[in-house]
Amino acid sequence: MKYLRIIFLLVILISVQPVTAAADSLLPGETMDYIGYGAIVSVLLLLIIAMLVLLKAFKVLTRVVLKSEGYTNEQITAELEPAKKEKKPKAEVWQKLLSLRPMAEEKELLIAHDYDGIEELDNPIPAWFMWLFYTTIAFAVCYLLIYHVFNAAPLQYEEYKIELAQADVAKKVFLSKAANRVDENSVKLVHDPAVLASGKAIFMSTCAACHGEHAQGNVGPNLTDDYWLHGHKINDLFKTIKYGVLAKGMPTWEKQLSPKQISDVANYIKSLHGTKPAGAKEPQGTKEEDDDNKLVSNN
Amino acid sequence: MQPENFYYDNKIVRNFGIATVIWGIIGMTVGLIIAIQLYHPGANMGNQYTTYGRIRPLHTNAVIFAFVGNAIFMGVYYSLQRLLKARMFSDVLSRIHFWGWQLIILSAVITLPLGLTTSHEYAELEWPIDIAITVIWVVFGWNMFGTIFKRRERHLYVAIWFYIATFITIAVLHVVNSFELPVSAFKSYMVYAGVQDALVQWWYGHNAVAFFLTTPYLGMMYYFLPKMANRPVYSYKLSILHFWALIFIYIWAGPHHLLYTTLPGWAQSLGVAFSIMLIAPSWGGMINGLLTLRGAWDKVRDDVILKFMVVALTAYGMATFEGPMLSLKQVNSIAHFSDWIIAHVHVGALGWNGFLTFAMLYWLIPRIYKTELFSKKLASFHFWIGTLGILFYAIPMYWAGFTQSLMLKEFTAEGMLKYPNFLESTLQILPMHMMRSAGGAMYLLGVIVMAYNLTRTALQGKLVANEAAQAMPLAPVHTIARESAWHRRLERKPIQMLIAALLVILVGTFVELMPTLTISSNIPTIAAVKPYTPLELQGRDLYIREGCVNCHSQTVRPFRSETERYGEYSKAGEFVYDHPFLWGSKRTGPDLAREGQKYGNAWHYNHLMDPRLMSPGSIMPEYSWLLTQTLDTSLTVAKINAMRTLGVPYAPGYEKVANAELDKQAKAIAANLGADHIKVKSDKEVIAIIAYLQRLGTDIKANKTANK
Repeated sequence: MKYLRIIFLLVILISVQPVTAAADSLLPGETMDYIGYGAIVSVLLLLIIAMLVLLKAFKVLTRVVLKSEGYTNEQITAELEPAKKEKKPKAEVWQKLLSLRPMAEEKELLIAHDYDGIEELDNPIPAWFMWLFYTTIAFAVCYLLIYHVFNAAPLQYEEYKIELAQADVAKKVFLSKAANRVDENSVKLVHDPAVLASGKAIFMSTCAACHGEHAQGNVGPNLTDDYWLHGHKINDLFKTIKYGVLAKGMPTWEKQLSPKQISDVANYIKSLHGTKPAGAKEPQGTKEEDDDNKLVSNN
Repeated sequence: MQPENFYYDNKIVRNFGIATVIWGIIGMTVGLIIAIQLYHPGANMGNQYTTYGRIRPLHTNAVIFAFVGNAIFMGVYYSLQRLLKARMFSDVLSRIHFWGWQLIILSAVITLPLGLTTSHEYAELEWPIDIAITVIWVVFGWNMFGTIFKRRERHLYVAIWFYIATFITIAVLHVVNSFELPVSAFKSYMVYAGVQDALVQWWYGHNAVAFFLTTPYLGMMYYFLPKMANRPVYSYKLSILHFWALIFIYIWAGPHHLLYTTLPGWAQSLGVAFSIMLIAPSWGGMINGLLTLRGAWDKVRDDVILKFMVVALTAYGMATFEGPMLSLKQVNSIAHFSDWIIAHVHVGALGWNGFLTFAMLYWLIPRIYKTELFSKKLASFHFWIGTLGILFYAIPMYWAGFTQSLMLKEFTAEGMLKYPNFLESTLQILPMHMMRSAGGAMYLLGVIVMAYNLTRTALQGKLVANEAAQAMPLAPVHTIARESAWHRRLERKPIQMLIAALLVILVGTFVELMPTLTISSNIPTIAAVKPYTPLELQGRDLYIREGCVNCHSQTVRPFRSETERYGEYSKAGEFVYDHPFLWGSKRTGPDLAREGQKYGNAWHYNHLMDPRLMSPGSIMPEYSWLLTQTLDTSLTVAKINAMRTLGVPYAPGYEKVANAELDKQAKAIAANLGADHIKVKSDKEVIAIIAYLQRLGTDIKANKTANK
């Protein structure tokens, strides 16, 4: 028995070893995890197989022992069969669960009065019903205690703070991995067709309502001419889209468009310069030299 | 002692029955029209009187107070006479009750499309009609208690306990929720404001469900089901327990409609706790009903009336389990404001109230006409198309509710809303809305078939207007033995029963309403929040008239997905001048609590003229009439005075300059629109509503900049 115990311990140690070695292993963490899961699953499988083998072994042994005691084959099979339970009729179990009295006894339960021919039975309230009621009362009491006496769970404003904090952490983790932390200072003018196509899609769904489908201007100003209200550089455009110009009805898009999306749509707008669409709105703002394009072409 | 001969009044039952069917068809047709408007806004026929915001209250009022209301009176007048062995107390009162109630409904059909509304959900009717409702309700109670006093049956049967609780609680609810200060013949302001008004409204709204759609129907179930199945009621003890537990607990549950709002946390938690405790008492009625059918299930197979009853009880059980689950905060945060709630209420309304009403009609009309039902086949068709209709209605709405809620809550890895534009989620669920209207149409078709079937039944029989009956008069009280069971004793004393029921429902009422209405620390004030300017106040009244609140909420809940989408979450102090509150209960469109200054005036002008210009695909109706109708400023003075009476701090004498101020602000907005080439006169209604929209939620923004 002592040896068995030592072997058992060794098996555990060996199966746990890869996990403990994770810190200084050359394998990446994820692979280590998979090996760990694999080890656990295989140990569990092994256990099941061992149990099945043992069960079979016991059955065979029983047969051998019983045979040696002079049992016939039929007696042995009968002995090995699981003991049969006395089965209650199904309906009776159901009735007990629902605390129902058999229909035959109904006459005894009739209360000696009737209303316009309607009689009433003096059945007890089903036990399960009372338990349901008590459980909900206990739940209600615990609920009030947890939230308002022990303050063990957050109420809505605290819940909100927690939600924001978690989101903040998740966002930071994501941004530290991704390279899309573009803002109004770092935004670059590009002519990449993929960027312009993405920008066009955003423009059509979010900007076209006020600036017109071809940026010719509608409620908002014309974006294709030389006249600009809030600067014409890609950085200016980015800034105007991001923060909006609330006094003039341009909404803030910071919360609805990602920095990459703002950059795409700003670039798309720049690409429309000088397209002279039909029905263009009259110029607004100051005339600006489009030096961005020159710079690019000079490059 | 000699048995006495008397007659039951069947004519009044028949009259309420006819009203039930007619108003049912009208109410459901209006429901179908507004369901279609939700994916085809043009279904308002370009007309302000048939536009969603105005006729959605017409639908709810018609099905609750006209269809279900008349069905209650039909069932009560039929069963009460027979359970008490007495004719109704007074035929005159019966007639006043009947015609008075129909006139009230008629006035609702006229005033609601005109935009005359208090905007309190399920209590939209203006103050003169509120008074009429009170009078007619008293007539009903008088008639009922008169009958009870001249009864020939000593004890009151369980059905009558429910009728008594219904009568007294609806009276309390209606009166407390109708404290309004009249401004003119058809305009009033709620006495309560903001959070307090919200609490009163949902205390009322929730218990209108409890004591108008539930308790009278349970009472009728206790009469009609044993009659239909010819079986004794399963458990008298269960009747007692679930009756008192139900009326005591139900009254507390209202605040679960206001989870995650600015209602104080303790009141919200009480609402949740009592909603959970409501499961068993609600189920008591279902269990007692279903077990009454024990030994009669073979009848259910052939008897279409019992089929209606079984589905009704099952729908009741489902809805009353779902309700408490919806009041759990975690479930509520997804389900509230979404189509899930629409599915939930329709399981109750179509299944429980509708099917039980149909069962009563099919059972009682042939009886009072001394004939057989015209066609069992048509009734069977009604049952199946109605059941299918409920499924086709509810399943798409559950689906739509989940879909939209999860879309609105989804964030991208960058920490941005995945669907920043609310409209995307609306467009996603349009197919579900189309299926829902198909389900509703099926249900309505069933009702029309029933109307035909019942008409033919009535035509082939002859109304027994006065049905002969015989009963022994009551023995004098001193001759009867004292009963040992306390409840048996109570059942002999209607007035004590009435008082007991009243006391039981007042406990929850006082504990929840009183602290919120009287203790000011429950609503912290904010210095930056100022009263509305006269133009904004007029704009707000237009917002109420057009029923914007039916689709747009005005309360930002403290969830990241909402503060990202709409802005800072709402504070209790922001609503202190809101008589009435306009938080809403459904977001078919986005929340507007922080709408102010988000877009320019021109955007709003174009959007109101044709929402699809600014938001392609939008399902909002066009409000072209706001552009042409002139703002009525004749009531400005009265409105300012009324608001001041209610505690809004307008300076003394301000009402004299109010219209001048109004003109000034309107001209400024018109000039601003003019700069964007929109030519509009400053006296048009659209100017006022833009002024109001631009004000929404901005006080607290101002506060922030001031603090910086």
